[in-house]
Amino acid sequence: MNKVKTAKTAASKPKAEPKPKKEKHTSLDTQKSRMGWLFVSPFLVGFVLLYLPMIVDSIGYSFSELNSVVGGGFERVFVGFENYSYALFKDPQYLSLLGQSVGSLLFNVPAIVIFSLFMAILLNQKMRGRAVFRAIFFIPVIVSTGIIEYIDTGNKAYLDNLEQMSGGDTASVSSSGSSSTASNTGDQIISMVDVRILFGGMAIGGSLVGRVLALVNNVYQIINKSGVQMLIFLSGLQSISPAIYESCYIDGASSWETFWKITFPMISPMILVNAVYTVIDSFTSQSNSLMRYISNIYSQSGGRVRATAMSWMYFLVVIIVLVIVAAIIRAYVFYQRRDT
Amino acid sequence: MDTSSMTKQELKEYQKQLKREEAMRKIRAQEKTPFLTRLRYKYLTWYFAKKAAWAIFRFVLLVGISYVILFPYIAKIFGSFMSRDDFTDVMVKLIARHPTLDTYRAIITDNHYFKAMFNTALLSVLCGITQTLICTIVGYGFAKFKFKFKNILFIGVIFTMIVPHETIQLSMFMQFRYFDIWGIYGAIAKLFGSSEATPAMANLLNTYWPWVILSFTGLAFKNGLFIYFMRQYFNGVPDELEEAAYVDGAGVIRTFIKIIIPMALPMMITVFMFAFSWQWSDRFYTSLFFTNTKTLLMPDIVKIPSSLDTEYAAQATYEIAIRNTCGLMILIPLVVIYLFAQRTLIEGVERSGITG
Repeated sequence: MNKVKTAKTAASKPKAEPKPKKEKHTSLDTQKSRMGWLFVSPFLVGFVLLYLPMIVDSIGYSFSELNSVVGGGFERVFVGFENYSYALFKDPQYLSLLGQSVGSLLFNVPAIVIFSLFMAILLNQKMRGRAVFRAIFFIPVIVSTGIIEYIDTGNKAYLDNLEQMSGGDTASVSSSGSSSTASNTGDQIISMVDVRILFGGMAIGGSLVGRVLALVNNVYQIINKSGVQMLIFLSGLQSISPAIYESCYIDGASSWETFWKITFPMISPMILVNAVYTVIDSFTSQSNSLMRYISNIYSQSGGRVRATAMSWMYFLVVIIVLVIVAAIIRAYVFYQRRDT
Repeated sequence: MDTSSMTKQELKEYQKQLKREEAMRKIRAQEKTPFLTRLRYKYLTWYFAKKAAWAIFRFVLLVGISYVILFPYIAKIFGSFMSRDDFTDVMVKLIARHPTLDTYRAIITDNHYFKAMFNTALLSVLCGITQTLICTIVGYGFAKFKFKFKNILFIGVIFTMIVPHETIQLSMFMQFRYFDIWGIYGAIAKLFGSSEATPAMANLLNTYWPWVILSFTGLAFKNGLFIYFMRQYFNGVPDELEEAAYVDGAGVIRTFIKIIIPMALPMMITVFMFAFSWQWSDRFYTSLFFTNTKTLLMPDIVKIPSSLDTEYAAQATYEIAIRNTCGLMILIPLVVIYLFAQRTLIEGVERSGITG
């Protein structure tokens, strides 16, 4: 260590005027911690000077009313919990949308995580045309965000009002096959009726069947949303040493056993990361109906603070869900000890 | 050959040779197994059947899902070539009966496509490069250095990741409308008798400044995620690499520029792709910071061109098709870049060794 330090201090200031060596009492650790501060300083500055004021302001706004003042500017009037109580008790849709988005989350997060894990394992296998499939599977990551999502949801709202459509052009998946039936909104991959009949004999709650159906019909959404997760899983799969698989194979384990005994535990930290990411992503994405409602309120009210109050409450719910999800998964996560 | 005249030694050798020849004949006989028999042993086994079934199943599944992913875009592409009459035609499903390029032409001329593309390209490239650099630097700082409050600060990064934009939408707007730092400037101005209710340093709306500021401080869209990616990547890089550089006499910054950045380039390209394309198709920040439409950006071209007459029977579908065409045209540059960069993009994440 000492060698490192002297070499480094000598090299870092070769042209500086010779100073007395007494000043260089800073140890390597101190120096490194200083450099650490330097490296994170862009974020630190932004966080302290920009982000924290915004957060503080945002909390402040949610408790107050903004009035614009003649001569430019605005003033804040403290109104207490009025914005919150409005959202909770007077707003016609907020609570039901909140429940709805949390409910759909409970079904979507496992679906997305399982689907992306499955797909990552498929795409990790050696086969012909792998590069092409990978390229196709990651198109949604790049393409299906922001403005495109906005256009698509706009189209869907359009189509929902429409009884019938002509032409093969919709944002949805299945219009080619099934749009001939008049009442089909083009959204359904399998018909609801078929599945109802299939599940009718079983003693499953009707609501659960409905959920499953919604899940199946949302397959396009799920695929679209699992791009980043797939990438993360792929990177996790790559980091598992092939030697482990080889020794498993020699010991006579089937691929099913290998998956549950090796792949799954090794990838479990990634499952945690992906679950958390999926929760965040689906809470903050534009296609979330509550988010759309909040930004609608924001644009309608000309920047009234009700939207801010609503989204703070929403954020609290996000945090609670996140903590629960993380706690549940964390109990099962296996961390491999690396001796490097 | 006469065996009796041989010595013991020679006899032994001769027997050995006989044995060898016998073995060779056996092997050759094995090789002469009829072609069909060989095929049978190779392909008519349970092992091979299982493998083949799995390969077919996998292929069908992948093709199916690829279809689900690609079909909306294919439908949009076909729809974009349809003329007005095709939307009332019941027979037309995908392929237009009267194909036309009017939609494209109208979007390019009426909605000023190229102007919007230039502006957006400028903004996205600048944002992408700065965000990539800043996130690399910050991620490196978080991964490789020990300092006080590091964990608390990293919780800050996570915090920026999980707070929805809508929550700070209003205050972000206010922040850049009346740009100020902790209200210090405003307080001083009030002390000196400013007549305004909220004196501010500048009004940064309708300029590129909000993006510059947000990008340089690592607070822009999903930058928390990028910082996290970079940190995980650098966590997987062995410390010995830098120690070697230090021993050879390079400082921390020089090591970072000469060794770390070239090494992290695939990962940086990945982050750049994300930053670039998410900025390219971003609607939230553009509509928030550009209150007037003087600066044309990509979201502004999503509207019905004035030269296209849409008022007739199938107005709704026609307008949807036009809007989808707008979306497609926004995507064209992105797709071109993706085709070139996708290999690096996927490999970059693969090699990142992201772990929990």
